Amino acid sequence: MKLIIKNLKKHFDKKEVLKNIDFEFEEGKIYGLLGRNGAGKTTLFNCLNEDIKIDAGEFYIEDNNQKRKMEAEDIGYVLSTPNVPEFLTAREFLKFFIDINKKRIKNEKTIDEYFDFMKIEEEDRDRLLKDYSHGMKNKMQILVNMIANPNVLLLDEPLTSFDVVVAEEMKQMLREIKKDHIIIFSTHIMELALDLCDEIVILNKGILEEIDKNNIDNAHLKNKIIEALKEE
Amino acid sequence: MIRTFITSFKLKNTYRANSIIYSIKQFPIIRKILLNSLYKNRGLKIFANIVSILWEIISIFIGKIIYIAAMIFMALSWYKTNSADTFIHLFTFLTFAGGVLNTYMLNPTKDKYYAIILMNIDARKYGLSNYYYQLIKLVVGFLPFTILFGMILGVPLWVQIILPFFILAIKLIVMNYCIYDFKKTNKASNENLPTKFVWGFVGICLLLAYGLPAINITINATIFLYLCMIAILLGMYSLVKIHNFKDYRKMYKQILTESNVYMQEKNTGTQAMKDISLKQIELDKNYTSNKSGFAYFHDLFVKRHRKILTKAVKKQSVIILAIFLAIIIGIQINHEFRVKTNEILMVYLPYFVFIMYCINRSSSVTQAMFMNCDHSMLTYRIYRTPKVILGIFKERLKTLISINILPATLIGLGLALLLYLSGGTDNPLNYIILFVSIIAMSIFFSVHYLVMYYLLQPYNVNTEIKSSTYKAVQAITYFVCWYMIQIKLPIFSFGIAIIIFCIAYSLISLFLAYKYAPKTFKLRV
Repeated sequence: MKLIIKNLKKHFDKKEVLKNIDFEFEEGKIYGLLGRNGAGKTTLFNCLNEDIKIDAGEFYIEDNNQKRKMEAEDIGYVLSTPNVPEFLTAREFLKFFIDINKKRIKNEKTIDEYFDFMKIEEEDRDRLLKDYSHGMKNKMQILVNMIANPNVLLLDEPLTSFDVVVAEEMKQMLREIKKDHIIIFSTHIMELALDLCDEIVILNKGILEEIDKNNIDNAHLKNKIIEALKEE
Repeated sequence: MIRTFITSFKLKNTYRANSIIYSIKQFPIIRKILLNSLYKNRGLKIFANIVSILWEIISIFIGKIIYIAAMIFMALSWYKTNSADTFIHLFTFLTFAGGVLNTYMLNPTKDKYYAIILMNIDARKYGLSNYYYQLIKLVVGFLPFTILFGMILGVPLWVQIILPFFILAIKLIVMNYCIYDFKKTNKASNENLPTKFVWGFVGICLLLAYGLPAINITINATIFLYLCMIAILLGMYSLVKIHNFKDYRKMYKQILTESNVYMQEKNTGTQAMKDISLKQIELDKNYTSNKSGFAYFHDLFVKRHRKILTKAVKKQSVIILAIFLAIIIGIQINHEFRVKTNEILMVYLPYFVFIMYCINRSSSVTQAMFMNCDHSMLTYRIYRTPKVILGIFKERLKTLISINILPATLIGLGLALLLYLSGGTDNPLNYIILFVSIIAMSIFFSVHYLVMYYLLQPYNVNTEIKSSTYKAVQAITYFVCWYMIQIKLPIFSFGIAIIIFCIAYSLISLFLAYKYAPKTFKLRV
């Protein structure tokens, strides 16, 4: 399975944020999306999530050489600021999500098993989400997006709100699930990208390009990335 | 201190000018032409600055003249007492009430928030300089009108001149008391959330102000003179205390929280706005549901928002019952009232469009749906699949219709009963039409608001309204309903017309919602 983006363009007012995005993302890999502030990372995600209309171009899923439209079910999007319905408890939120995704979930687990998987403590499971901390809400958001088992998972700066222990757990978890997914992970933290991601993709001046990291050590790679990001 | 004041004045002017440009940009056509670079445009900047300064000058006077004219001058005609004395009397007691309600200093405004919290300007210098500026504006603004109205009413000249200073003195005394209280309790009082004690005091002042003249008691110039002397002496003492107070920063830190500052402007999309919505969620998680899927989800939403859903409607129903009961009693004991009621009922059905508009809860309910639910859920793509959107839409429609229908049923039955008791009608169909048309209106408003919400979903992720179409639709809805007040038509023809309209509108809009909502129901970007 591949996510293919072709000639995608998006502008706001006179500013061309995405000039010509042309890229293929493959299943089984975690892509680290790096870009400077305002480079358009979130805009790109919003386009893929159909939150905003694109000006030109297209994107689609290619499965066994069959081209098909990317449907809502195909995509999970974890925002940098966690959004959870605050009038529900964590358990109720999960139940609702499992209910509406019944058909798509392969080997469904019990709600508590999901909580265990995400390491959410017993005593937190029946609290209203409105009383959850930022990091806990973020955990829930990631969990819910994973239950739906979407083919493409977009993560916008997801690990920054976690403490070091949880961040490590999350990284491990992403590595575990990556084999059936296309995971695109935007971040400002280069170490994180280098540590977690299989491919580094740079969004600069409205264009997406992959950094070839074969045969170079981390220090050189870092320099290469920074040079690429600095290019005017 | 003067430099701090000038800085803060410039700051205020800058963002006021920017908001003027922003509002110009809100007009749909202009927005297309003008770009963001607008804020750099020198000519426009100067224009906006001039408007802003003009507004500053006008605002010194406009509130004062309205206040004196509406609260004092117009009230004089109610009383048989000497007008000049009554003028002094009302002025004095209203000043006491106004003194505790508005201190300027403790009002959590955005200017203060920006300057003291966000830009870290010296709180004492900022607070005091702006306070003095307000006080000067107060005297300058009041003086022309105390003289003007004073001359019309024959109030002694010295009273005309001293009145603004009397207000000034009262403001100072109250402020000094607030500071004294803060020193003692370490708690600063937000003047926009007056305590019961303050409300009680204001109530008493209003009672004394408007009540005493009704029984021919007023204070006169001599009593006022003594009051004034005491107030001015205490005021001067207070001024020294206020000026020498050091802990303004600490005090402002308490008052200028985001939720205080943004509380006044309900439409501002901020975290604070969300906080207010969050308070509507009832903590009792013992409400559960044994449904599943979206029915489950929606059921819990309804149960945890009982305060704004079912409880509000129950309150409405009690009030409606009470009103009908009062009218029924009126009809029984007064023949003239009975005849009049019958006449009114026969032609005032259009008026009820406006009443049904006012009591319909759908507008605030859809807002809560967004703030507490869709705001977060719409970020999940799976929530935006047609199946889920329409499934929840259906649940919501049922809920909205069913909560609004309770008061509507009461009104419909009540009106039919009133019509019967007040003398009846030639055409018995009128009873049915009256009832059905009220129900139809209720359903219409429920459908209208929900469909508008789904088709135009106006909010962005920061809970700001981004759709001018949505605002326009709301305004048009209001004006149409308001216009109906002036129309008088017989029950039969108007009733039939409104029923047909409501059914047709509901069917068409539901069709549109089912067709387009899966595309339109998403967060604005």
